[in-house]
Amino acid sequence: MSFKKILVVFVCLAFLAVAVSCKKKSGETIKIGAIFAVTGPASFLGAPEAKTAQMIIDEINSSGGVDGKSLELIIKDSTGSPEKAISFAKQLIEENKVFAIIGPSTSGETMKIKAICEDGKTILLSCAAAEDIVNPVAKYVFKTPQKDSYAAEKIFEVMKKKGITTIGVVASNDGFGLAGKKQLETIAPKFGITILIGEVYDKKATDLTGVLTKLKANNVQAVVNWSIVPAQSIVPKNMKQLNMNVPLFQSHGFGNIKYAREAGAAGEGIIFPCGRLLIVDTLPDNHPQKAVLAKYKKNYEGKYGEDVSTFGGHAYDAVMILVEAIKKAGADKEKVRDAIESLKGFAGTGGIFNFSVQDHNGLAIDSFDMLTVKGGKFVKYEDK
Amino acid sequence: MRPSVYIPVAVLTACIIAFQIIVSALNREFYLTQLTMSAYYSLVILGLTVLMGYAGQISLGHAAFFAMGGYTTAVLTTYNLAGAAGNPLVKLVVGLGLDTVSTNAYGAQTQHLSPWVSLVVAVCLTAAVAFLIGIPILKLKGHYLAMATLGFGIIVYRIVLGTRMFGEADGISDLPAFRLAGGLAVGGDPGLRVQNYYIAAFLLVAGVILLTNLIDSRPGRALRSIHGSEEAANAMGVNTARYKLSVFVLSAVFACIAGVFLTHFNGGIGPSEAEVMKSVSYVAIVAVGGMANLWGALVMGVVLNYLSLRGYFGSYDEFVFGCILIVIMLFMPEGLLIKENFRILADTAVRIVNKCRAGKQE
Repeated sequence: MSFKKILVVFVCLAFLAVAVSCKKKSGETIKIGAIFAVTGPASFLGAPEAKTAQMIIDEINSSGGVDGKSLELIIKDSTGSPEKAISFAKQLIEENKVFAIIGPSTSGETMKIKAICEDGKTILLSCAAAEDIVNPVAKYVFKTPQKDSYAAEKIFEVMKKKGITTIGVVASNDGFGLAGKKQLETIAPKFGITILIGEVYDKKATDLTGVLTKLKANNVQAVVNWSIVPAQSIVPKNMKQLNMNVPLFQSHGFGNIKYAREAGAAGEGIIFPCGRLLIVDTLPDNHPQKAVLAKYKKNYEGKYGEDVSTFGGHAYDAVMILVEAIKKAGADKEKVRDAIESLKGFAGTGGIFNFSVQDHNGLAIDSFDMLTVKGGKFVKYEDK
Repeated sequence: MRPSVYIPVAVLTACIIAFQIIVSALNREFYLTQLTMSAYYSLVILGLTVLMGYAGQISLGHAAFFAMGGYTTAVLTTYNLAGAAGNPLVKLVVGLGLDTVSTNAYGAQTQHLSPWVSLVVAVCLTAAVAFLIGIPILKLKGHYLAMATLGFGIIVYRIVLGTRMFGEADGISDLPAFRLAGGLAVGGDPGLRVQNYYIAAFLLVAGVILLTNLIDSRPGRALRSIHGSEEAANAMGVNTARYKLSVFVLSAVFACIAGVFLTHFNGGIGPSEAEVMKSVSYVAIVAVGGMANLWGALVMGVVLNYLSLRGYFGSYDEFVFGCILIVIMLFMPEGLLIKENFRILADTAVRIVNKCRAGKQE
């Protein structure tokens, strides 16, 4: 048989295998769908989220499940593409008849499936940050990450105390950067702060001296960089090179110790808002989040051998909120939805969740702490 | 239509109807959702097959034409006319009766431009853009043409990603349904699923009939002669530049129409539709289908998109399409769905059956 013949037969067999592999599981399980950008440009969000969700579901199942039933997690990789998220959401709701959907990782995808979940009366616990997800409030749509506007407000509070009134903003050209820039521009006037110049750079940029020179020429009193990409380590280095001795503020995207390591000495003194996951060791023992954070960090780092990130925490919160609601209300979609809406004082990795009919995010501004880099480590920022 | 086309078209139509009846009977209508989406993507692939397989011109920028259709209708039909009632242009639109009122997901009424208008605008815009960029870039050949179309695709992607009007990285959500005549509507509502399947299938069959007719006509022969040898075609008096440009515009319009309809079906569009990898996957499917083989492209377009949209490839989606392209180019430049391969498969099956029989007799 020639190689070509083998290939033809092989291709046919591959199709058969795919067709056969769609097996059905049954039994007393609660199906939970998950749509994460495990690969693709948003994989820095989706990969830790998928790992976290799988880890917790496994933990819960090995300790006897919820409400007498075990949980079945169906993870779909959307690669960050809205059209796939749409297809998967419809598939999960109509075909797999899932109890709830966790994710998607990005705001664009969440906005595309918001109406689909609302129509399908399926609970959606989004891991994306945009405010539009919960404003206007859709009955079945919730989200776990803190609002971008809180991060911006936290930054401006510190600036006000330091007497800074004129700033320059740089942001990456991806969804995270652009949404943050928009929030900064909207909120700045409330704090009496003027944004003299706002610049956008490519998310793959490796040198930002050009952009920063423009900021320097405007004599800004502080720089805010809003992004999630490695440029966060380049900005402080370039500022040193340009001899810009003004404070650098970054977004909660900086909440990954590897960025601080990359920046090295130039990174010292960067101020940024962040959830408490990264400073769990320095939290007092009586802090309501301490136990949750320490457990998540220990389990995740033990299982996957990589540093924990706040993004995985969003998936942790989403799954735990759902599980908590199922424990309270039993395996009934409508009752669980009501239970989530009335959940108060729930300690997650992102903060203390207090949901209500109007607030489907449940986090207040105190869910962010201001952190700074000191001696190559993240520590809580103290006003001087 | 040549009589020899009647049979495949009839078979295709019968398959489409039979599939719907079977899934409806089995209460598995949800399969139609991804099939509808695949049908629209296949429309792009059909257009690309004529351009690549018959006229011999490659395009690595077809996702851009798809996105132009999708984004044009998304921008135009999500613009709330009631909010700008004083604008003379809006007054003219409303005065001419080109507006529609829809109810959005939150129960509110919105007054927006009719999708029929945005469809016409999208087609005209895409045709104009394809015409204008086609004039210079179709003078290029081989790798250079691939590079130029790739460049065009990247430009459109960056524009979409960086423009506030297009929703930047988040794209545009909450499109109204596209109400066609007589209660038919293109939209994501589960109740509209069966009719949407037939609308998409109708467009696909219409596209196939149109393109088979084109290929069998005088311009079709001219196109094939260009594929064979552009110099020879020129020498025989074929206006190669004009034919190449027309087929480029035609295939761009196919992509654009697919974009408009799929965006209304999905209720939104994001920048991923304009990505270069999307264009590459279209090219890969055309190659698997067998380049100059409309039916092969159609079948592979529906099958591969369907599997991809249902998530069978998981995290290896782009990897799968990349591998397909490499393997097909290396070992089967004629494509997968050609007569020879069916013969090989039939031969192998017969041999296996014979061997089994022989084994039993012993």
